[in-house]
Amino acid sequence: MTMNPWITHLMKRLFPPQVLLPDIIGIDIGLTVAAIAAIVFLTKTKRWGWLWREWITTVDHKKIGIMYLLAALVMLFRGGVDALMIRTQLIAPHQHFMSAQQYDEVFTTHGTVMIFFMAMPMVFALFNVAVPLMIGARDVAFPRLNAISFWLFAFGAILLNISFSIGGSPDAGWMSYPPYSELMFNPGVGENYFLLSLQVAGIGTIATGINFLVTVLRLRAPGMTLTRIPIFAWSALITSSLILFAFPPLTVALGLTMLDRIFGASFFTLGHQGMPMMYANLFWIFGHPEVYILIMPAFGVFSEVVPTFSKKPLFGYEAMVVSLLAISILSYGTWVHHFFEMGAGPGVNSFFGLSTMLIAIPTGVKMFNWIFTMWGGRIRVSVPMLWQLGFIPTFVVGGATGVMLAAVPADYQYHNSYFLIAHFHNVILGGTVFGVLSGMYYWWPKMFGWKLNERQGVWAFVFFVVGFWLTFMPQYFLGFQGMTRRMSTYPPGLGWTALNFWSTIGAYVMGVGFLIMVYNIIWSRIHPDWDTTGDPWDGRTMEWSLPSPAPEYNFARIPHVHSRDEWWEMKQEGRTDEVKISEETVHAIHMPRNTPMPVLLALAFFVGSIGMVFEWFWLAILGGLGVVAALTYGSFADYSEKEISRDTILHTEAQLGRVES
Amino acid sequence: MDIQRHLPPPEPTGHGDEVEVRILTPHIAQPHFPAMQVTGYGLSLAITLIAFAMVAYHWMGLNTLVTVLIVMAFIQGALQLGIFMHLREAKGTLWHLPVLALALFIGLGIVGFSMWIMLFKSGVS
Ligand code: HEM
Ligand SMILES: [Cu+2]
Repeated sequence: MTMNPWITHLMKRLFPPQVLLPDIIGIDIGLTVAAIAAIVFLTKTKRWGWLWREWITTVDHKKIGIMYLLAALVMLFRGGVDALMIRTQLIAPHQHFMSAQQYDEVFTTHGTVMIFFMAMPMVFALFNVAVPLMIGARDVAFPRLNAISFWLFAFGAILLNISFSIGGSPDAGWMSYPPYSELMFNPGVGENYFLLSLQVAGIGTIATGINFLVTVLRLRAPGMTLTRIPIFAWSALITSSLILFAFPPLTVALGLTMLDRIFGASFFTLGHQGMPMMYANLFWIFGHPEVYILIMPAFGVFSEVVPTFSKKPLFGYEAMVVSLLAISILSYGTWVHHFFEMGAGPGVNSFFGLSTMLIAIPTGVKMFNWIFTMWGGRIRVSVPMLWQLGFIPTFVVGGATGVMLAAVPADYQYHNSYFLIAHFHNVILGGTVFGVLSGMYYWWPKMFGWKLNERQGVWAFVFFVVGFWLTFMPQYFLGFQGMTRRMSTYPPGLGWTALNFWSTIGAYVMGVGFLIMVYNIIWSRIHPDWDTTGDPWDGRTMEWSLPSPAPEYNFARIPHVHSRDEWWEMKQEGRTDEVKISEETVHAIHMPRNTPMPVLLALAFFVGSIGMVFEWFWLAILGGLGVVAALTYGSFADYSEKEISRDTILHTEAQLGRVES
Repeated sequence: MDIQRHLPPPEPTGHGDEVEVRILTPHIAQPHFPAMQVTGYGLSLAITLIAFAMVAYHWMGLNTLVTVLIVMAFIQGALQLGIFMHLREAKGTLWHLPVLALALFIGLGIVGFSMWIMLFKSGVS
């Protein structure tokens, strides 16, 4: 039988040998079965219309937040599986669980997925869920843009995630430095996937930055001055400004690399006087602020969780804000610490080494503020607080090893060793991830109306934290003993074997912790512990004055804010009835309508990106036209708002017991 | 084509930031063809292409090239801010001024530092 040569060519391009490994084919089959099952389920239960109306076209920040959260949990699973594959390979010397090539692909997707498609959406989930509620707003400033951001992220994530079964995964690490990511050394479509997926998701991220910047600056309830907004909202504000300045350099770096790979330019190539190091420079102008984009929301979460669970106002509110601002400014001036070894010379290196060490100061200030908030407080050790208590030691170790790395001569030893790996997992896993998980448990009742089971939550925490320390402490010592990052295997006799073994066991323990967490979510969904008060934790900020989950319009009447912990004050002074409405005070509310434009726009980006990845320019142009069409439609469509009538509001609020009789 | 938008009169936000800045008062009503935007779009594309061409075809020596590029970058920035970023359409608060100053500071910082960092390369290649 002879096949049409065109088809043979296409099949070879879509399915090169690297995606035809037995395990990948197994996953492909599993995913196909799962997708068919999902489609059958949705059709049988007639839920397509519901899915479209309630979720896909929604512009409601609360629903967008939930979608971000679920997507991030799925990505945490994907990235976690990658991590376990990496650790399995390294459990003992000379393992060949994966080939070196597959190992490279797995650590590349692990890093990329975890940073861009797990941590970032987790952060955005919490922003969406909490910020408008805590500042007394009915939605974010630009609800439609918010939906666009989400769908761009979602399609960016899909793009990266299909690479392993169609066309081949990227394999040049999460920062994809040239020259290795150059076309000459890295043919195939993997790197194109990397470039396009981050580009698409990145546009969404920049839009989210703008959105929350404006939301916090302009949509605060009357009386909520800048010195009264909850620290989490401050962290959203400052994170957004960091996003706004940090992501464009990434856009540029990715864009120019794309020109190099697809159109034969030579910005970063070895030949034609390209400057590969300029890529590293641009990447880290983005990359260092990025790590603070990831950590500051966690700081924000803890600044909410600690006062609530200590029943005390936050110690040093002003110091918190000033240190957040200081971190954000300083974090622009430290990026060279990621490439001290490039050879820029002592002047440049000492400047950036010093600026890096300076960052530890405002960070330390925050640590003390949380501790002093707990000091003398009545502490309840609920799950969100547990994650905070787990965070303090992990983050202190992470920060201290960061300062060690900032000492330039020492960094010549540590750089790209397992010491570095342990450092950034200490701060990202032990900082950002602990923070967003704390926030997830904290705001879960506000999102869904039921609490997550405490006992199971504690077990998940214990496994996760024990696994965490067991995984990463040995890695510092592996670093001291000379093991470098990204080795796909190692020989015996170097003193690395036992440390690697324990590190792998720790990773499995963490995996068990994750599974318990999933069980916790599913179990609590089946046996819901309803939150009827709207204030399950005896909270302090405005979101707890609302029912759980909040009605579509959030606040029937926008509150007037008089103090920092407004809801707490209201409870203390017995003024909680102020949140109730009456026949006289209620007005009709205008809310934005649902629209299919965001998802169609993102779909067009996706189609165009596939065209660029495979260099099918007709498809890229088609996608581009789709983008223009969606934007044109978006500009001229009718955006009259829908009106929620007084009667509907009265009815809804009466059911919640929030109407004055 | 009628792109008339009616802005409600600025509502007091209660934040005490209502400072009226004359040159920043709204210019949104625009019942005619957006000639300015189209010209601005054309100009910014042209500037980008010329910049690429200058580098690709070695129109001038390194130092002149860098200077000319920086000047063009400023023109580009001014075009974007003035025509597309609604700089002249603010509703009379001073929010943007510190933010713009910060943007300028960080932008210049990034460019300046990058040049300083990458200088060592010029001796090599
Ligand atoms: C006290 C604060 C910190 C200091 C002084 C610090 C310092 C450093 C230094 C000097 C490096 C480069 C080491 C090398 O490549 O040899 C580094 C790498 C890194 N840091 Fe930190 N850091 C701090 C906090 C953080 C935080 C809060 C995060 C993230 C939440 C973070 C994430 C990372 C990442 C992801 C890398 C390495 C990325 C890579 O090469 O793949 N760091 N840090
Ligand atoms: Cu850094």
